[in-house]
Amino acid sequence: MGPYADLRAFLDALDKHKQLLHITDRVALEPDVAAAACALTKLGESSPAIEFTDIGGYANARLVMNVHGSWPNHALALGLEPDASPREQFERFVEGYQRYPGELERVSDAPWQENVVDHDINLYELMPLFRLNRGDGAMFIDKPCVVSRDPDDPDNDDVENVGVYRLQVKGRNRLGIQTVPQHDIAIHLAHAEERGEDLPVAIALGNDPLITLMAATPMLYDQLEYRMAAAVQGHPYQVVRTSTGLDVPRGSEFVLEGRILARHREMEGPFGEFPGYYSGCHEYPVIEIDRVFHRTDPIFDAVYVGRPWTEIDYLQAMTTSAPIFVQLHEAFPEVTAVNALYTHGLVVIVSTGTRYGGFAKAIGMRLLTTSHGLGYATMVIVVDEDVDPFNLAQVMWAMSVKVNPASDVMILPNLSTNLLNPAGQPTGVIHKMIIDATTPVAPDVRGDYGEELDTPQTTDAWRARLATMIKELRG
Amino acid sequence: MTVDDGAADRPTACPRCRSTTVGVQATSPVPGVWTLFSCSTCLYTWRSTEPAENTDPDHYPEAFRLTPDQLATLPVAPTIPPLRAGDAPGGS
Repeated sequence: MGPYADLRAFLDALDKHKQLLHITDRVALEPDVAAAACALTKLGESSPAIEFTDIGGYANARLVMNVHGSWPNHALALGLEPDASPREQFERFVEGYQRYPGELERVSDAPWQENVVDHDINLYELMPLFRLNRGDGAMFIDKPCVVSRDPDDPDNDDVENVGVYRLQVKGRNRLGIQTVPQHDIAIHLAHAEERGEDLPVAIALGNDPLITLMAATPMLYDQLEYRMAAAVQGHPYQVVRTSTGLDVPRGSEFVLEGRILARHREMEGPFGEFPGYYSGCHEYPVIEIDRVFHRTDPIFDAVYVGRPWTEIDYLQAMTTSAPIFVQLHEAFPEVTAVNALYTHGLVVIVSTGTRYGGFAKAIGMRLLTTSHGLGYATMVIVVDEDVDPFNLAQVMWAMSVKVNPASDVMILPNLSTNLLNPAGQPTGVIHKMIIDATTPVAPDVRGDYGEELDTPQTTDAWRARLATMIKELRG
Repeated sequence: MTVDDGAADRPTACPRCRSTTVGVQATSPVPGVWTLFSCSTCLYTWRSTEPAENTDPDHYPEAFRLTPDQLATLPVAPTIPPLRAGDAPGGS
């Protein structure tokens, strides 16, 4: 399985594993598309992707959603078997992440060069744009890979950036872009604006599943997402350079070339965002599109964002957990796993070995000072290394018996949080909490723990044998 | 699905801010299925075939309505940095 050269190859793989539904009946862009994608999120953790091939008003548009929106789909994107557990997917992601850098391979031609539109661009005609949530101020492109370079360091590939930023379609060739200050593109834009120059961007749509995950990963400023994709897939990542010097995935369905207009801001929003609330309206930067390339009969890929869990929570799951783990593990090798699945890591569970009494609380404080912890993590639960942080039943057991609220709950006042966190007071500032759910060890001799239950001899052998039998039983 | 007859029945007011600055951005590539409108005041866009709460000012949800006062006081993000000394503006 994998690596997948493009979205089409991944859709074929999803088909093969019965993880793709084909809707061939005619649908209306509103409200059918978002409603169907939302409904899929309410049908469990194994939901398939969905493809619409008869969209009202278009002769031959193709639209897919929920491509990453379940654990089986996410596992397949990482090159794992579809029944891989979240813990196995975390470990696969971390293993690939730590192989950075992989190889960037530049090639000269791509299927998206088949068709080019460089005058009278009308995005509404070129792709099936639709409103996602009723209060959204417009149609949005919400699963793009936006590519930019640092105008102060334009030949340095390491600081080229590929990121997922929501794009409001404001006109036929005009987009709004959300560039949160913590995002790498905000640095590129600031440098361009200090120079009084537009910032060239390339927007790749309909991409292979791995580069979308990499673009959603908060990696270091001088780490290139393409090289991370290559590291994770264990195979060079192929890109094509545009006329404006930006590298774009060879496999993309659409490529939009344009510019963020220098020193210009314009009304944007609202948009239903990942915390499960609308974002409100802001004055955000604006992109003008100069050229559109696309494959013949291109496939448009979008993500449904609603009250968690929805597809975006899978996009932000391991992509958030792995970088936090790598930073924590560098400081404290006792750390074994990080679960930052909840609302982009506003709640994080970390498992660790304990060096001495009080150690787990230090782990929690270090987590709050990781780059992602600064802007997101608000509640940290620390559990022992033999508790799987991805298994909430185990986590709740640890919380039940290992926490004495008198001394295991720390509240740290007035720390930084994301502007989209609705609990901030004022916005962007919040108290944070660490819950130490590890077993106290000396010299922290609180509680009366005695001997913990373990499993009978030969349980592991029985588990393997029975798992095989159950699989055979169910065909 | 509903089929409308294009720009002929262009709305007179934006569903969100009730400005009369309404224009046509696109019509469906297959003619006669939908028309896409936009408001140049608040940049709201909508399709003629959407539910009434997205197309009709009287049915537009109260929570999402905007007034000119609100449009004038939106937070700017990111802030625009000062120009470097010696750099002349070259952007749009």
